[in-house]
Amino acid sequence: MSEITNADYIAEAKKALNDPVLQNALADLQARFGRGTALAYRNLPEGPDLRLKAHEIRAKTIENLDVVLETLAENVRKNGGHVFFAYDTQAALDYCLATARRHKVKLAVKGKSMVSEEIGLNTALIEDGIEVAETDLGEYIIQLAGERPSHIIAPAIHKSRKDIGKLFADKIGIPYTDDPPSLTRAARKALREKFLAAGIGFSGCNIACAETGHIATVSNEGNIRMATTMPKVHVAIMGMERVAARLEDHDVLLRLLCRGAAAQNMGTYVSYVGGPRYLQQADGPDEFHLVILDNGRSRILADEEFREMLYCIRCAACLNVCPVYGKIGGHAYGHPYSGPVGAVVMPLLAGINRSKDLCQGETLCGACQDACSVNIDIPRMLLALRAKLADGDANWQVSRASIPEKGIYILWSWIIQNRRVYELFLRLAALGQCLLPKNRELIRRLPPPMSGWTRDRDIQPVAERSFMDRWRSGDID
Amino acid sequence: MDTSNQAAFISRIRSALGHSSHQRRPANGLFTSRPTSEINRILERIKNRSHAERQQLLGRLIEMAEPINLNVVVLKDPPAVTAALADLIRDKDPEWGHQKSVVTWAHPLIESLNLSGALADQNVPVYITELKESDADEKFGEKERERLRKHIVDSYIGVTSADFCMAETASLVMRTRPGQARSVSLVPSIHIAVIHLNQIIADLKELYALIQWDTESSREGLTNCMTFISGPSKTADVEATMVHGAHGPREVYIYVVTDS
Repeated sequence: MSEITNADYIAEAKKALNDPVLQNALADLQARFGRGTALAYRNLPEGPDLRLKAHEIRAKTIENLDVVLETLAENVRKNGGHVFFAYDTQAALDYCLATARRHKVKLAVKGKSMVSEEIGLNTALIEDGIEVAETDLGEYIIQLAGERPSHIIAPAIHKSRKDIGKLFADKIGIPYTDDPPSLTRAARKALREKFLAAGIGFSGCNIACAETGHIATVSNEGNIRMATTMPKVHVAIMGMERVAARLEDHDVLLRLLCRGAAAQNMGTYVSYVGGPRYLQQADGPDEFHLVILDNGRSRILADEEFREMLYCIRCAACLNVCPVYGKIGGHAYGHPYSGPVGAVVMPLLAGINRSKDLCQGETLCGACQDACSVNIDIPRMLLALRAKLADGDANWQVSRASIPEKGIYILWSWIIQNRRVYELFLRLAALGQCLLPKNRELIRRLPPPMSGWTRDRDIQPVAERSFMDRWRSGDID
Repeated sequence: MDTSNQAAFISRIRSALGHSSHQRRPANGLFTSRPTSEINRILERIKNRSHAERQQLLGRLIEMAEPINLNVVVLKDPPAVTAALADLIRDKDPEWGHQKSVVTWAHPLIESLNLSGALADQNVPVYITELKESDADEKFGEKERERLRKHIVDSYIGVTSADFCMAETASLVMRTRPGQARSVSLVPSIHIAVIHLNQIIADLKELYALIQWDTESSREGLTNCMTFISGPSKTADVEATMVHGAHGPREVYIYVVTDS
């Protein structure tokens, strides 16, 4: 996982909290899309319960993923496409590079694809001497700035129009402007040349359809259609779970995907691509390749506790309601997946110990599940990850995150199970806290090792007399 | 095609799911093998749709098109479409360069418009994206395709028809055929789709039922590229401000012919 960089969660989160531009952008994003999506679910003819049906569809597909993928591959080949099964990042990159080299490609265009971020496709292409142009406007901005996306659907949400104006003046040599239509037009012009000159187009896949042998991609800008129509070769990369068995499943999943992603009834462009141009057709790619990627997913599949995470269709609705994402933004999570989905997927893909801050940073408020287009129980899996961190887990090679913490919990569990010890503890705490600084009845600071608790918040003091004590002496009505 | 990695890949999934890793499992009821009674009902409904019901769908299309900046123009017959197109071409200026040119599909409905005749007085050439029979051969086709591609890139208006139009999401549905290049609806600055009233259907459910189970529509299946277009290309990536014309057409018109 070359591109997964577990940034310092705490430091990055702090930086985000102190960035007023980002705070405004995040608040605005959540106010519009968070509410918009909830409303869009309610306006479905079937109502928000369609999400439950989608959950069942996804469950059935994932339980039969072997059959579904074999069928998909068979049908894509029948349509004249090539299918490559990649166990890991390296295998996927090798295949993409070999395909590009075979066609002597100098310039590649890319439609927005999170899985290509996951495998680090850009870096690999550039190291191989191939220029690569991101074509989603947000991704293009991020690429020009040399940064990483901070939202699955709105990758440049952390940049202000002034930032983008300066960036464009600097990198593509247009006179400075911070007018969104002018900036969009400048990118349209620059990228049109790339689309027409590129020798290969890369795309992701929103949901494939096994029984027809097609991948489906959704975009509002039209960049994915451009990248998969104009170059001579189209390579689509999909995580192995991004497939539905039947076309009629797409009726449910596509409608929910567009609502979850952007509160839309339908994205502007949906394309089902199932193979190369036929001989008599005037355009479309001469070759179509589908790369199906495992990269740690079969391990998630094998664990029934986390299998549900593979139901995810990456609509990013959970980001738009998450109170944690809404404050710290996408960069703190370490790339490429952020928000609640990232908080579960990243530890499972990149290592639970390594990404422990992600699952520990979420609040378990449950908003993500309500927003989820396929009703995934993300809070349950966040808790399961935390349990593994608390106790260690041989299967996932998790070592206990904190031995002192475990020690404290063992001690605490002993204290509360022994009434006398507990009462003694309360009495000592009630006496001891007199020495601590207070503010309006609340304790301002605890001594180490508990000082972390009171760094950003005050804590309720222990009552002078315990409830049981007052009950026994009849002081309670 | 190297399938050795496929075998290992799939057997890994089988064992992850707790099945024997070597044996291919049957597809018990996973895929649709015949139309359900619901699908039959949908097909029946489409077939027996009355003129009044079609008008109702048209109303719904217009209603759903408005918020996504998709222009629906209702016209009586092909000559009315030709006149409307000629007016539009007179009014609109090209986005790139100065020469106005139009590119169209080879399609009976579009051919019936006789566009090249109608645009001759404006000096606007009309190109049709059809490969000649002899050019379909790989060796000769390349040059001809390059020529068509240049016309598509240079044209500021692309005229297509569509297979269907879904009212509920205001989406044009286009499959790919010889003579009907997909970039005609993508590369020019303005896209115009001319359809008949009876091509309007309700929603995705109807579409999927038709292309999978209707005797006529299912013959081609999805083809190698089926595209839905719901309005003009758009982006909100600069401070969440909506801008039309990111990479695809800045304006999209659906001309609905009501005469049958």
